[in-house]
Amino acid sequence: MAAVSATCIRFGTSVELPVRANNQIIGKSSSLVSFGWGKTGGFPCIRTSRLQICAAKPETVEKVSDIVRKQLALSPETQLTPQTKFTELGADSLDTVEIVMGLEEEFDISVEEENSENITTIQEAADLIDKLVDKKA
Amino acid sequence: MKLHCFERTFFHSSSSLTPIQLPSPMETHLWYVKPSEVKSGSLLNQYLDILPPCERENVLQMRGEELRKSALLARALVRTTIARYQINSHSNPRSLKFRKNLHGKPEVQWQFRDDQHPPPLHFNISHTTSLVACGVTTNAQIGIDVEEKHRSIKHNILSFARRYFSKHEVQFLAAISDPQVQRMEFIKLWTLKEAYVKALGKGFSGAPFKTFTIRFKGVMEGGFITLEDLSPKASEIVVDSFDDPADLTSNWQFSLLELANSHYAAICTEKHGAGSGKRNAPGKLTVWKTVPFLEDECVSGTAAVKIICGVQ
Repeated sequence: MAAVSATCIRFGTSVELPVRANNQIIGKSSSLVSFGWGKTGGFPCIRTSRLQICAAKPETVEKVSDIVRKQLALSPETQLTPQTKFTELGADSLDTVEIVMGLEEEFDISVEEENSENITTIQEAADLIDKLVDKKA
Repeated sequence: MKLHCFERTFFHSSSSLTPIQLPSPMETHLWYVKPSEVKSGSLLNQYLDILPPCERENVLQMRGEELRKSALLARALVRTTIARYQINSHSNPRSLKFRKNLHGKPEVQWQFRDDQHPPPLHFNISHTTSLVACGVTTNAQIGIDVEEKHRSIKHNILSFARRYFSKHEVQFLAAISDPQVQRMEFIKLWTLKEAYVKALGKGFSGAPFKTFTIRFKGVMEGGFITLEDLSPKASEIVVDSFDDPADLTSNWQFSLLELANSHYAAICTEKHGAGSGKRNAPGKLTVWKTVPFLEDECVSGTAAVKIICGVQ
């Protein structure tokens, strides 16, 4: 069998997942929706005038991403979106647990086991954090 | 993303897999791949080729070549491994279907006319970027976990243990003064706990880590002993659960190994016919290092498999 060099294992062009604008949760009758697009590494965020169905605060999303970056030792070029799944970034169960612990320390909250299973993306983590922080207040 | 399979005519997927008998009830089979040893682009294309579109998509969504490769090898390993057992004469890895149980544990969706008697094959996989493993049993639930021996833990070990492990386990780790040894014992304990939860198949929240203790029952009962003190024959790994009555947790047996000098692997399997008070003979474990479609090497009894505790 002809030897194939290591460069042949590239799976075509790298996959850039488009960030879909309609991923954020929008209230049924929200009156004011604005999109903000940050610079590279920033996030699209939506603010609605309805408080109950609201995506997490951008600062929360940002902090979560920083913790995830540190835990998974991601290169600065790795693009993160709120929808990025931890598993896509190579996080295994130990990483996820460390991420949750990092979030608990950063935000001074406690995440129950049932909830930590539901944290699979940056957005989900941020939403849960804001919920828990609000409960404390 | 269609990849060019220009060498496809030279390979016949199913005939390049050495068929094998299912393990006997007290036996476990373990197959592993080292991604660094799979260099052939055409071989990786073959692996992609046996995946259904949804699994292919999942592989390609991973961020980075290394992650894509180990994700691909995980799927290829599980399909080719199960295909080797030629259940009901099915030997094509491409035709296997998988589903998840109620709690998200993957299982084979056997294709039958008569759905009443699914084959007794059970499997579980675990992967890191540097090693992918698949365990197989007959008529016994199985969970496995592999971790790099030198994996770094970002948090303080004891803080982590206090948050997630049981009191007994925290005490065990706290008694270890050397930080390197402590980290390695932590990783071994983590893999054992993971393997147990995966064997139970109830998900991480179905058996929170704090609700059970894994400990090493050695010749010397009582006192805290590290795994260095134990010889494989003199000890066993046991689990005590706060939620389950004692006799249910004696249904599980554990093995802990060092694989390829680089990884710890924990295997948890269901014990059958466990008599009360009777200590069952440890099960048999056979380990193969494989590059699916290319070569298999039985590595049991070699330096690639160092049994720390649990099996013969």
